[in-house]
Amino acid sequence: MSTPQPPSSSSLDTEESVDFFKSTINEYLDNLPESVHQELFQSRETCLAIFRLLPALSKFYIMALLFHETSAPYSDLNRWVKSNKSSEFKGHQNPTKIYQNDSIKRLKSLHILKEIKRQMVHPITKQPTIIIFVQLNEIFRQSLRDALTGFLPDSTQDQSKISLASVNNSNKGKSNDLNSMFEDDIDNDITIEYLDRYCLAKWENILHFMVGTEIKEIPSVGVLTLLRFSGLMELPSDREHREALNGMIDDTIDNNYEEDNKKSIHTLRQLLITRTGFQFLLQEISSQIWTLLIQYLIMAEKLKMNPVDVLNFIFLLGSLELGQGYAISMLSKTQLIMLDHLQDYGLIYHQKNSSVFYPTRLATSLTSESSSFKTASNAIDQEISQPRADKETNSGAIIIETNFKIYCYTSSPLQIAILNLFVHLRARFSNMVTGVVTRDSVRSALRNGISSAQIINYLETHAHSGMIELAEAEYNKKYEFESSIGNMSALEQLKLEILPPTVIDQIKLWQLELDRVQSFKGYLYKDFNNDFEFEKLLSYGEDIGIIIWKDKVKRKFFVSQEGNPQLIDYANKIIRNSSNTPRANTPA
Amino acid sequence: MARAIKGMLIECDPSIKSLVVKIDQDYRDIIIEELDDTHLLIDPSKLTFIKKELNRILADNSYNPFDDEDPQAVAATLG
Repeated sequence: MSTPQPPSSSSLDTEESVDFFKSTINEYLDNLPESVHQELFQSRETCLAIFRLLPALSKFYIMALLFHETSAPYSDLNRWVKSNKSSEFKGHQNPTKIYQNDSIKRLKSLHILKEIKRQMVHPITKQPTIIIFVQLNEIFRQSLRDALTGFLPDSTQDQSKISLASVNNSNKGKSNDLNSMFEDDIDNDITIEYLDRYCLAKWENILHFMVGTEIKEIPSVGVLTLLRFSGLMELPSDREHREALNGMIDDTIDNNYEEDNKKSIHTLRQLLITRTGFQFLLQEISSQIWTLLIQYLIMAEKLKMNPVDVLNFIFLLGSLELGQGYAISMLSKTQLIMLDHLQDYGLIYHQKNSSVFYPTRLATSLTSESSSFKTASNAIDQEISQPRADKETNSGAIIIETNFKIYCYTSSPLQIAILNLFVHLRARFSNMVTGVVTRDSVRSALRNGISSAQIINYLETHAHSGMIELAEAEYNKKYEFESSIGNMSALEQLKLEILPPTVIDQIKLWQLELDRVQSFKGYLYKDFNNDFEFEKLLSYGEDIGIIIWKDKVKRKFFVSQEGNPQLIDYANKIIRNSSNTPRANTPA
Repeated sequence: MARAIKGMLIECDPSIKSLVVKIDQDYRDIIIEELDDTHLLIDPSKLTFIKKELNRILADNSYNPFDDEDPQAVAATLG
């Protein structure tokens, strides 16, 4: 078990790199109802994991209140923080204040911090005033204390264990503690290196499937269903459906999930990558895992799995030790199902009929602190980029010329597969591939839902160091020239152009070309008898924002389909009014 | 009172509009009304057809680097 870290402020850049995955799991946690939170807090591993995911100031507040038996006045929370009272910031504009409020808000939405209002009598003025006190959630406090002190509950803690024990039908005697989970390694041949290789093979296999590489072993139906459910991939029929809906956001996939569940592996293997799927590929491996796990949580709820059990297990995995085998006998029924599922993602290694499972690096790095997380992900990154022992493969390898020819120094099949999504590859050598970006190749990527911005972004972030040096030299030359002639406005507009501008523009143009036509359903109004009617309807329509096109000279306008009933109502009202007052009546 | 015609408004640049007009001449019954240089009122059921035709025409007009590369390669191997 890793020791919890004191609430220190970690350096900024590491915090940013883990920001994405943190925000998504945090969002999920925040939106859970209080009763679920209460249940979650009964597990000390979960408390520890939640604690780790909080911002530094929230951690600090928890630590300050943790061993404080009674409640503390709310105003103390402000006193513990040194606010920078510079004149630049006023009120809630102050960044320290914003950060503090955010931290407190997180604690409240997780129901960790409770506010209690108490009526007090002021000691001097003798006036009754209401003072707000704060207190930690009782269950959370107890669990986190236990987690930190390593206190073993025997008789004192039985009450909180009851609900967990009742879930653990299979073995009532054993408690859910980490300590009872330890079991001597039976298979000594399962080493950390083996686990690393295993989990990466599993995970890369999924990524390969997403980019459409020919692979021997297709991921399981469970994985494929999740990929489709999360919108990372879609069936050709889904795509037709979406295109028929004219790109409108479609929730139907979500609704007929039950039916999808029955789709066979033969249907599911036709899955195609979507725009979100491509974005997913560009992320770091840990954020990818979190993204999928959160989708898994949402799906698990639909399958009537207990979310508390599921979350507890995920968080539990985060506090297990790599290379150590754990007995499966302490797992609940739900968790046994999960064991099977998580195996498909490479989070867990478990041999059939074996009573022991092994968490892999993907699982144990889930909730780790940013620093340890960094090293874990670095290790994984290195693993990925080291099939041929050259570290340069994964980043900084792409050269693109103004004639759209592209050279990529890589031997990673995954990167080649990603390139293959939008590049017409011509030749492959032992350490590089060459190809051309063509209209057709970009269009096929665009049709797959990948945007031009994504392609450009990918090329930019993976540009070869030579490209960057060249761009910097160019930039410096221009900068010197413009500053020598004192052209300040040009100086401001100078940008570092890593990719040839022609290529960027052309890729953008190709995207524009794909949607040359914009279409709107609705009604064309014409043949108005007089200006008065026309103006009246038009101005009403413009007020409520339903007019898409108008021509005042020819007295025509076009109304969107959704807005039409409102306009007709209004027109009928006018007709009624005008028939009541014959003065305004116009000859037909 | 005025008349309302159900249809689909499409917005595009003049060059595309003229292509749509040409498609309409070839296949009929697509355009209900030409509104201005950049707007047309069309039959909603024909939209996918128009898009497909436009793609075909535009693809014909675009430059494909492989078209003129291959004969050269052949010539090079022969020469």
